[in-house]
Amino acid sequence: MIYAGGVDVGSTQTKAIILSGERKIIGRCLINTGAFVSAAAERAFRGAAENAGVKAEDVAYVVGTGYGRYKVNFGNAQITEISCHARGAKFLFPNTQTVIDMGGQDAKGIRVGPDGDVKDFVMNDKCAAGTGRFLSNAAETLSVSLDDIGPISLKGKKPVRLSTVCAVFVESDIMSYLADGKTMEDIMAGVHSAIAARTVALVRRVGIEPEVAFTGGVSRNIGMVKALEEKLGLPVNVCDDSHFIGAIGAALFALERAIAGVAEIKDVDMNAAPAKPQLVMPTVSSQAVN
Amino acid sequence: MATTQVDSTATLDSIFETCREIGQDMEFSAAKQWQQGAPGRKVFGCFQIYSPVELIHAAGALPIAVVGAGNQLEIAHADSRFQSFVCSIVKSTLELGLTSRLKFLEGMFFHSICDPARNLASVFVRNFPEMFIEYVHFPQNLASPLGKQYLENEYQRIVGNLETRLGRKITTDDLNASIALYNQIRGLLREIYEIRANRPHMIGAAETFLLTRAGTLMAPEEHLKMLQIVMDLLPKRPSRPKDRIRVVLEGSFCELPPVPLIETLEEAGCYILDDDFFRGWRWFTSDVPIQSNPLAALAESYCDRSYYSGVKHDSRETKSGHLIQMAKERKADAVIIQAAKFCEPALFDYALYRKALDDANIPHLLLEFEEKGWIFDRARSEVETFVESLMFD
Amino acid sequence: MAANAKQPVKKTDYQGKMHNLQKDMIGRYYDSLTAAAEGKGGKAVYMMISGNPVELIQAFDMIPVYPEVNALQLAVKKQALPLILAAEEMGYSTDNCAYVKADVGMYFAGRKTPFATIPEPDLILCNYVGCNVYLQWFEHLAEFSGRPIYNLDIPFNRTENGEPTEDDLRYVIKQLEEVIEVCERMTGKSLDYKKLQRIVELSGETGDLWSEIKKLTKCRPSPFDSYFDSVTMMAPLYCLRGTEDGLHFFREAYKEMKARADRHEGPLPEEKFRFVIEGPPPWPYLRQFRDMFSRWGAVAVASTYSTVGGIWEFGFRHDPARPIESIARHMLTYNLTNRNFLQRYQQIKDYVEQWNADALVIHSVKSCRLFSAGQGDMREYFTKELNVPTLLIESDLEDPRYFSEAQLRNRVDAFFESLEHRKMLVHK
Repeated sequence: MIYAGGVDVGSTQTKAIILSGERKIIGRCLINTGAFVSAAAERAFRGAAENAGVKAEDVAYVVGTGYGRYKVNFGNAQITEISCHARGAKFLFPNTQTVIDMGGQDAKGIRVGPDGDVKDFVMNDKCAAGTGRFLSNAAETLSVSLDDIGPISLKGKKPVRLSTVCAVFVESDIMSYLADGKTMEDIMAGVHSAIAARTVALVRRVGIEPEVAFTGGVSRNIGMVKALEEKLGLPVNVCDDSHFIGAIGAALFALERAIAGVAEIKDVDMNAAPAKPQLVMPTVSSQAVN
Repeated sequence: MATTQVDSTATLDSIFETCREIGQDMEFSAAKQWQQGAPGRKVFGCFQIYSPVELIHAAGALPIAVVGAGNQLEIAHADSRFQSFVCSIVKSTLELGLTSRLKFLEGMFFHSICDPARNLASVFVRNFPEMFIEYVHFPQNLASPLGKQYLENEYQRIVGNLETRLGRKITTDDLNASIALYNQIRGLLREIYEIRANRPHMIGAAETFLLTRAGTLMAPEEHLKMLQIVMDLLPKRPSRPKDRIRVVLEGSFCELPPVPLIETLEEAGCYILDDDFFRGWRWFTSDVPIQSNPLAALAESYCDRSYYSGVKHDSRETKSGHLIQMAKERKADAVIIQAAKFCEPALFDYALYRKALDDANIPHLLLEFEEKGWIFDRARSEVETFVESLMFD
Repeated sequence: MAANAKQPVKKTDYQGKMHNLQKDMIGRYYDSLTAAAEGKGGKAVYMMISGNPVELIQAFDMIPVYPEVNALQLAVKKQALPLILAAEEMGYSTDNCAYVKADVGMYFAGRKTPFATIPEPDLILCNYVGCNVYLQWFEHLAEFSGRPIYNLDIPFNRTENGEPTEDDLRYVIKQLEEVIEVCERMTGKSLDYKKLQRIVELSGETGDLWSEIKKLTKCRPSPFDSYFDSVTMMAPLYCLRGTEDGLHFFREAYKEMKARADRHEGPLPEEKFRFVIEGPPPWPYLRQFRDMFSRWGAVAVASTYSTVGGIWEFGFRHDPARPIESIARHMLTYNLTNRNFLQRYQQIKDYVEQWNADALVIHSVKSCRLFSAGQGDMREYFTKELNVPTLLIESDLEDPRYFSEAQLRNRVDAFFESLEHRKMLVHK
């Protein structure tokens, strides 16, 4: 039996998945990333193997993904979470053509091809915050738990209009509205609506085609699911495993490589130094690069 | 729906209310009302600033200001075309187009004011191929007589394009009639501004803003009537001076500040004696002469009698000199630089102004704003602090 | 920012002629600036890079000074940030072009840089060629220095056929004649027309060679990277155009690049992807940025940035028989920045098709809105209308605070992963 693993090292959490040769999820593990990223990656991987009841050494191929993918030292290859999210979403929802991913730091939109490949993708601009961080800052300002803000937002009758989706300024906007006598429900509805509008505008750049899968940590927020559906005019697919989607995609890539054999699919070694260009500008090469 | 009808029962407050509705109406009902008044009428949108509206009017068409959507429109499409570091007015103007709100327009005019506005003209050409898009390059060599000659030719080129598009000749008389009409309007606006500067308790900056803004969205003939009524009513307005500091405001010549923001500044304790709102519509410091070559008169007026701004670069005099002069003429206690977020010209100017104002010992405050703002508590407390620092000094 | 820090920095073992020649020549150019700053040289004329009349300035033996080149040198040498911060303290916004801020910071810090002392301007000649920031930048320098300024106003390419009008051309020629008068007054010499013709001929030959060099990247593999290596050739093109030195450099560069093309040598061991790149480079992190592409075997075969100073590869040549008119035409039409945005789309489209590129990369820099404002629409056009895979990434050309290595690398990697997938499908 062939096993393959995927490890998604995010900034806050690390997720690992083990797949069997029949593309069945047989093990999962989720831990906090913490300061020691390599160790966390390894721990998550071993945890998933244990959960699957297989020995770590028997996992034929491991792909790392997420921001910490270069720290998956024991893995065989690294693939970006963008490719992995596309692959993972297609696996969970076979009719997926569009993926909306909302995490703590960024939001992205992916157009997915027929075999789970990335046809096009966009990620949020620098100044255009409007992601999970914005929601958690809003929750903090209103002293409610992050898990509650979604349901609260659904009770809003007249959503307020925010002048910003900047995570830094949301607090002062909210304070002004509270001072103005607006209810927490209306404020939260406004917050969700602003982020959803922003995100849909972002994802439009790749062209939105159904079905739409909504992934990432924020996809567990029912308020955001509803807000997105309203702005899109389409239903979105979410599932309990959606925060594992990157790891699932990574494991699918790993399985493909395990079956094909390493000789068939050559990945670029991301940890190797890049090829040294023959012509280099003297102004750059002559200075001590710090 | 906003209507431009102002009758004899109108009060100043009802006129300002009408203007507010017209200014917020992103369906442009006032312009459409004019358009539907007779078959075949054409309306052209003018982006900021210094748009040669006389040329459009002389062609029998209506020029209106299409200058963003304020806080009335959620940007859902345009920010896929312009990045987050581009000012809001560029995006919201494109959003108006992408949401089909500009379909009633025959075309749009853009001007050489800044890089995003210029690229916006191209984006309009690509996205709205049926529209007549004109890009006006204003001369920036004002020290040489060549600039004037060039601009006259540029206006001639535009007149030619308009004639082709509309299938009619634009005569000298047409042009002079339009110049005379806009002279009247601008003359009245100058008078109203003068009243405001001398007796700021009589009419506020938000109110003159509303009056000017509405005028950019309706037939000029109607606007003229409205202004005449305002001039009749204004002296009878009961009001008493308040204890406020006297400021001039600079930096909002392009993206429009939300009206409640201007009101906030006033409520926070400022008499705004002069400002640069719509300077590109009010744009001449005195009348454009009526002469046998009207295009030369307009070109000469741009070069020699138009208000300075962040997007006009006249090497004959310093830009900060203009601002200091305005502050001194208006006997202002202070200057407020109110620049739109990401507006490079206004923000560049601030660096010059700051030094010059310091050197001239004029207190100043920088406020950044966005047209899409909804709440102004932060601006209010900044201005209140500024006012207190001056009053209790 | 330290993601790459663990990788050993390998100095290049390449010792071709071109680089040393470039280093010597640019070194001498900067020495001439220092000499001018110390009162031992000619009159310093500040100008902008894109579409400038340097030929006229050379004809009067005045010294061209390019604040943009100085600013980018400061960024490359990692000297820019303190100067940017100094300018922001003066009141410049975080949202203002960082070239300007670095330059203004440098101006008030005594105009001393690691590469030269920059002279005060004797003349500020603002060639307004599309970029509105130029106007503001030079307006500020004029206020700060109190030196004379001439705004050389170049009407933007705005007509339907993309050509300047006859009036535009006349306007620019007449202004150039005024500039000649200004230079004559300033130097006390009258214009030597024969000398001007010779200089314009030098520019013509230089342009021919540069154009030929750029066509070499149509070869497979491309003999050099048209973005990262082109910048080596752009400095002489800007600072030395219209001089014998400049021409000599381009003769050598052409020989060297042609020989590489004949030997089928590319800049990387294997050319796996060919891309066109739009936008200025991130000067403070040029090497890290290049590594992101080298890793994937991706080579830029054409770049819009290398046409800021002039577009020669589509048929323009400075003409010594009509020197002033051809300078005017260069300023009006044959440079990137005075062309409208849709002409840029067309230029990129030509590159993609004629240079056989697999993809377009748009490097969107916050500082330069001339380049960047609207690049989302450009992306839309290339992905949706032309079906060219397009990556849009953001950083800055000068301000190191806007370079987020992890973010950029993530996007570049994902983009090439998807390109690789497409390639695999084609092979199947």
